Amino acid sequence: MNSAEELKYLLPNSVVSVGVQTNKPQAVIRKEDFLKVAEKVKELGYDNLSVITGVDRVDRIEVIYNLFSYKKKQNLALKVVLDHRSPEVDSVTSIWKVADWLERETYDLVGVKFNGHPDLKRILLPEGWIGHPLRKDYDMNTEQFVTIGEDGEDIVSPDGSNLLRRK
Amino acid sequence: MDPVTIDTTKIRMTKRKPETALEKLEDTNLINTLLAAKDREGFILLTTIDQAMNWGRLSSLWPVTSGLACCAIEMMAVSMAHHDIARFGMEVFRASPRQADLMFVAGTVTKRMAPRVKQLYEMMSEPKWVISVGSCANTGGPYHESYCVLKGVDNIIPVDVYIPGCPPRPEAWLYGIIQLREKIKNEGYGAKWGLNK
Ligand code: SF4
Repeated sequence: MNSAEELKYLLPNSVVSVGVQTNKPQAVIRKEDFLKVAEKVKELGYDNLSVITGVDRVDRIEVIYNLFSYKKKQNLALKVVLDHRSPEVDSVTSIWKVADWLERETYDLVGVKFNGHPDLKRILLPEGWIGHPLRKDYDMNTEQFVTIGEDGEDIVSPDGSNLLRRK
Repeated sequence: MDPVTIDTTKIRMTKRKPETALEKLEDTNLINTLLAAKDREGFILLTTIDQAMNWGRLSSLWPVTSGLACCAIEMMAVSMAHHDIARFGMEVFRASPRQADLMFVAGTVTKRMAPRVKQLYEMMSEPKWVISVGSCANTGGPYHESYCVLKGVDNIIPVDVYIPGCPPRPEAWLYGIIQLREKIKNEGYGAKWGLNK
């Protein structure tokens, strides 16, 4: 029994399906129960949350949590499937501290809203950037430029006349 | 009308020896330089001093310490003993743009970094030169279709020499540096007018 099947055995109602993705056991979780499952998983010894990824599948958005247990030397991936129009899921910052920045990154690039996150704002792109660039419907035709404001803050605008050379 | 005929016997073929002071001055090349400068309403002194200044400038080009991405790793290789840019007098990477006259734009110029690169360039004192290194800085390179990368650093600052490659080998850097030295050598009024060669 791999780690995902073990989870399915322990929480049959919350785990929708189990499978293997790139040699790692993966469990798809109902998004309503996600926080509860995450707590259980932490109890099982998965102490390291290595990365959170968001994937835009056009009709839905998937968020994948890659976990590792130093005690068991085992991998486990949790996946939640979210609505494309308003992707929302509970934040796991209370369980894994590292999720703070990882969730901010997923919010920044894919636009997933993490409920209960202490400080949900952009982490890579400057504030004011329009759109979430790893979405399939991101508008690539309007260029956005960044300039430095009076106090050293980033200002985003589609007009790059302060930055670009006059030719 | 009669066809024009030239009486060749009247043309004196031998050059007269300069006798008066003015003739002596005319005989030297200096008067030509001065006359050329006067025609162009230019600076007579600069035409000759330029040469010396250019020599000084190209022999001690100090680059500013700034690297943006993987190409910067190659910049470190260039500055190390094996490829040794000390022979061009360039080994002094300055931590302050005020003390530098050359900027290597080595790496990907992201949208967020672009205003900082421009600011760095503006902080450098004249005279200043820019070498754009790698496909990223030249055109956007592998990230040309990206949402967050500038399509060429020449959109924001003027570039003197482009070095292609991803990343360019140190030999290519050295070739680019030699091209820049060549360019600096030919700067100024004297070189522009075809004097001081
Ligand atoms: S040109 Fe290639 S090596 Fe240089 S910064 Fe871009 S990706 Fe990196």
